[in-house]
Amino acid sequence: MNALQVRDITVTRGAGPVIREVGFTLEPGRITALVGPNGAGKTSLLEAISGVLPAARGSVHIGDVEVTKHSRVARAKLGLAHIEQGRAVFPGLTVLENLKLTARTWPRVDEVLALFPELDKRRNSPTALLSGGEQQMVVLARAFAARPKFLLIDEMSLGLAPVVFTRLLPMVTRFASEGAAILLVEQFTHLALGVSQDAIVVSSGRVTYQGTAEALLAAPNTLHSAYLGE
Amino acid sequence: MLQGALAGLAAGGLYAVLAVCLTLMSRLVRVVNFAQSATGMFGCYVAVHLSIQVGLPTWAGTVVGILIGGALSALLGWIISTWLAEADIGTRSAVTVAVLLLLISLSFILFGNKPQPFHPILDGPAFSVNGVVVSQVTVVTVLLSVVIAVGCRALLSKTSFGLELRALSERPTTAELMGIPAKPLAVAVWAVTGLLSTLVISIVAPSQSNDATSLSMLVVPAAAAALLGGFRRLDLAVVGGLVLGMAQGAVAQVDSLSVVRYFLPFLVIVGLLLWSQRKEVWDVAR
Repeated sequence: MNALQVRDITVTRGAGPVIREVGFTLEPGRITALVGPNGAGKTSLLEAISGVLPAARGSVHIGDVEVTKHSRVARAKLGLAHIEQGRAVFPGLTVLENLKLTARTWPRVDEVLALFPELDKRRNSPTALLSGGEQQMVVLARAFAARPKFLLIDEMSLGLAPVVFTRLLPMVTRFASEGAAILLVEQFTHLALGVSQDAIVVSSGRVTYQGTAEALLAAPNTLHSAYLGE
Repeated sequence: MLQGALAGLAAGGLYAVLAVCLTLMSRLVRVVNFAQSATGMFGCYVAVHLSIQVGLPTWAGTVVGILIGGALSALLGWIISTWLAEADIGTRSAVTVAVLLLLISLSFILFGNKPQPFHPILDGPAFSVNGVVVSQVTVVTVLLSVVIAVGCRALLSKTSFGLELRALSERPTTAELMGIPAKPLAVAVWAVTGLLSTLVISIVAPSQSNDATSLSMLVVPAAAAALLGGFRRLDLAVVGGLVLGMAQGAVAQVDSLSVVRYFLPFLVIVGLLLWSQRKEVWDVAR
């Protein structure tokens, strides 16, 4: 099966669990929005999937392979990419060098740059000198260049103006339409749900809703109660 | 004075190579390796032991010694990459101080505390300028420092391997999430710098103080040279090493100042640290 499965995963950070027995499946070509209040455990969940944090219990499967004990590098080689919170560029590398890290070939670099004309103009600039929006484009472009099967995106909009974020969101949709399974954590909940097919709401480390994004948008009380802890 | 400065160039080349190694370590694997020259010293002592006690030809003993220096460094790199992968640079560097002391003690236990009877790998003059003789050791160490610095710069800026190393040095976790194998790359950097340190020490050791402590403490002038480049720039590390070696050689020619040559690296370190902090003071004052 060409899907990413999270089975009853529990993640601990410091004193106690921050994620408790969460399970879901990411299907190819679909975007799943993962929403919830600050401190709900969204970032920890993504980090456990990609191997930044160990899972205390439960398992992660990429296709038919259980990767719970695999290294981050091994998971990446199986097609998993993780865009971390903040702007995870390599500041001392140029735009081209950032892309070359994952694209491997120059035609693939050109292909990705065609999607981001703003970056094409600054291809030889060190990424430290780019604006916040441009840096996030580099991160997104770098992930696309790798052609991952599964993409975890953590708060892509953090520190960006909404207008910049709405410029990036169609790229995520486009990437899903090419067959990638995407897990999207986003503070702009309605924008995220608007481009997603599926939705998961987490609150205090537990799943409080799992279903279609459309249904969640139609039931705002479910979302409000998660955020307000009701 | 010129004779002294040129005589100091051999030591300068040695400092320059070690400074390049320290700079690479700091940039790529986030550690100031205080055991940089101690691993080289230990490899060289093994080489001397193999040729004097076991009877291996000098060249064979030297090759084995260089490989042991590289392996020791790789082992230390593996330990730090495994158990201190997420530790800050201060913690990682502190571990290398312990290794420095361990290697000095171990060499005392295994080889005694006397200077070793090194067989010179290179001997004799290379050429003379206005009656001032330049030795083969001087020519080789200076060339080696330049070639290593230029080679490393080309490797880092022109190859995929270098690109991955630079990415790893800036954001190790992000690099790993992209499939760049952090640990093998880091261990490779440790191994290569260990090999280079042992190689250059084995060339220069026969012609200078070669007791375990003196060779291990070569890390001090090397650190002074690396500091000139801010532990970032390879070219300035080379220049720093060569200039420091020449300055020590020149000062040694003046009887009233000859003792100063031992303090020169410390003076350079203090001077550079004060110079590097001048903006901090100014900014805070504002």
